[in-house]
Amino acid sequence: MTPPVQSFVAAYQHGIYPRSEAVVQATRDLERGRTDPAAVDEAFRSDREAFLALQRRAGLDYLSDGLLRWQDLFRPLVDGTPTLEARVLVRWFDNNSFFRAPEGAETPRLSELPAWVLEDGIPEPRVGSLPSPYLFSRVALARADRDDLMAGVARDVLAPAARRMSDAGFGLIHLEEPWLAYAGIDDAAWDRFEEAVGAVREAATGATVVLHTYYGDVAPHADRLRRLPVDAVGVDFVETDLEALPTPWETGLVAGCLDGRSSVLEDAAAVAAFVRRAVDRLEPTSLYLTSGSDLELAGPEVAPRKVEVLGEVAREVRGETA
Amino acid sequence: MRTTQAEIELLTKPLLTHELGSLAKPNWRVKAAAGAPIEEGDLEDARTWGRRLGIEGHEELVELLRRAPLDPDGKAEVKRWGSRYGVGFLERVGLDVVYDGEQQRSEMYQWAVAHAEGFEWRGSVRAFDNKYYSKAAVTGPIGLRVPYHNEEFSFVRDVARAELKVPITGAYTISDWSFDERYFTDTDLGAPGRPKRRRDARRSFILDVARRLIRPNLEALIGLGARWLQIDEPGGSTEPDELDLFVESFNVSVEGLDAVFSTHLCFSDYDLFFPGIEGMTACRQFAVGFANYDSRDLGVGEEDRPGYRVLPKFRDLPYRPVLGVGVLDIHTDFVEPPELVCDRVLHSVDVFGDPARIHVIPDCGLRTRSWDVAFRKLQNMVAGVELAKERLGLD
Repeated sequence: MTPPVQSFVAAYQHGIYPRSEAVVQATRDLERGRTDPAAVDEAFRSDREAFLALQRRAGLDYLSDGLLRWQDLFRPLVDGTPTLEARVLVRWFDNNSFFRAPEGAETPRLSELPAWVLEDGIPEPRVGSLPSPYLFSRVALARADRDDLMAGVARDVLAPAARRMSDAGFGLIHLEEPWLAYAGIDDAAWDRFEEAVGAVREAATGATVVLHTYYGDVAPHADRLRRLPVDAVGVDFVETDLEALPTPWETGLVAGCLDGRSSVLEDAAAVAAFVRRAVDRLEPTSLYLTSGSDLELAGPEVAPRKVEVLGEVAREVRGETA
Repeated sequence: MRTTQAEIELLTKPLLTHELGSLAKPNWRVKAAAGAPIEEGDLEDARTWGRRLGIEGHEELVELLRRAPLDPDGKAEVKRWGSRYGVGFLERVGLDVVYDGEQQRSEMYQWAVAHAEGFEWRGSVRAFDNKYYSKAAVTGPIGLRVPYHNEEFSFVRDVARAELKVPITGAYTISDWSFDERYFTDTDLGAPGRPKRRRDARRSFILDVARRLIRPNLEALIGLGARWLQIDEPGGSTEPDELDLFVESFNVSVEGLDAVFSTHLCFSDYDLFFPGIEGMTACRQFAVGFANYDSRDLGVGEEDRPGYRVLPKFRDLPYRPVLGVGVLDIHTDFVEPPELVCDRVLHSVDVFGDPARIHVIPDCGLRTRSWDVAFRKLQNMVAGVELAKERLGLD
């Protein structure tokens, strides 16, 4: 039995999870007038149940609905904000995948979240994902100063959303932040970014809030990143060299330890060994295990196997395997 | 690269119009191919569009559809009817250069991979909203099972009156849209030298697709008389640090072949292509989507046309390619009025200073739009070009 390396280790799957072939077909059929919304709802319900069962089998600590109904990471927020619209299709970083960029008012204000975001039928402890304010402000089509927009979106869109999620029983709120790792950040934007993240953190009383970076090497920004006012900061170790990160980490670590865009399955023991090295080196105050990027682009055939590997990694890291 | 005078004249016809590849497949085409029942509405659709497009003998199609479900020969015949309709559709709206709306193919990536050796399917992945594509993994040696556009091209060549341009999915896009389970399978996150080994493996994968899949396919088409081959690379700029691989894959695919080659790029940060594509000297035309990023307000000034701000970079490429300027947003049912098309064209001509270096196109294939919307969009595109020609004093 390997001794536990950390007093607090939790595993969960963040972000959007791939839709099954049944949902793919149902949503296609709906658009072509070959089925009705009830049949699509039933397909989504079945997917959600299957994903929930998978997470339980894998032994994940926080449970997600997989954001299966989200058309992209921003859409429910845009739909719930009367002055925003989603129209222009933009490539999702370096992927064959696209999102509709939020656009509209310089001072958007969330009115309500679609009911299915909060009432997703997932038991506690639940994890929810939201875009980070920095990401939101950089992908939006806006004439406003980006940092002003970041502050406004954090205060009036993301913080209210995080509060409602926290109130609805979400125990962990995961902020998705690929932009920083992919495109970097100007020194001048850091203070506003910290304030923006702090606004979300403050609103989500009762929930753990983490910010997770992926799609790029975050080492050049890690020194400042680890001081953000969140409970843990995430690194995609597919893209970032562990040895290049500053030590000690001084906060919780979200270890993105599986490649969310590759169909090659990781060896759980090898990943666990890597995570232990990361913990030894960085000495984080807590440890969360998840995939680097989310698993949507891994597709419905590969993603479930990755979730199983994630569960195995968590057991290995905790020393629960012989 | 040898290019005939006729080909040069075709390419440099001022404000030449063409399509980008795919049109939606009519319900009768989809249902017949799937072996599903054909309903009266589908027959009426075939009849109505047959009349509207002037498709000779379209009642034969209706009679064929009445016999559904069809055997394999019948299904193949329906697909050929799809090609006739596709060609007729694009000729009827008045485009200078056409193809068949890719009516005989499944989808640009799926069709290519389905005819290749060395790939296995890994399920559907979402592109956006409720649109998905089937994604494969490379698992074995890459090869061309059979030249996969020959039959289609031979048929289209025989039924089309307008000039043809054959769309072909490029090597970089096929590689980029596939999982890699052969060239790089190392999952050891801490292994020394991993990034370099990953990149070397990536290069091998992309160039193997170019050499072993795309190039023999191009050679086969040229052997059948294809003169203009459009290499579709919507994945081209997805990874900025791989622009050199994208360029190298294009060059490896076409180098020394006797035809006109162009490239289609869409929905990217086009700035990322520069200066990388300065090395794509065999590319005679870039067909690029811009309208998706543009304002719908009229105007020909730089401020009026925010979607087109990257035009000068294409203009200044040292080998002076033609630019196919996307003027139709293919993701919306909004039908661009001719005046808006005209202003986008006039702005482009103003930036380039030479209408012979501007072609006018939709942003991408129109397969996500209904035929009715696609028809009206393309009609207005042609009308907008006519307006622009009048303003420019071109015949």
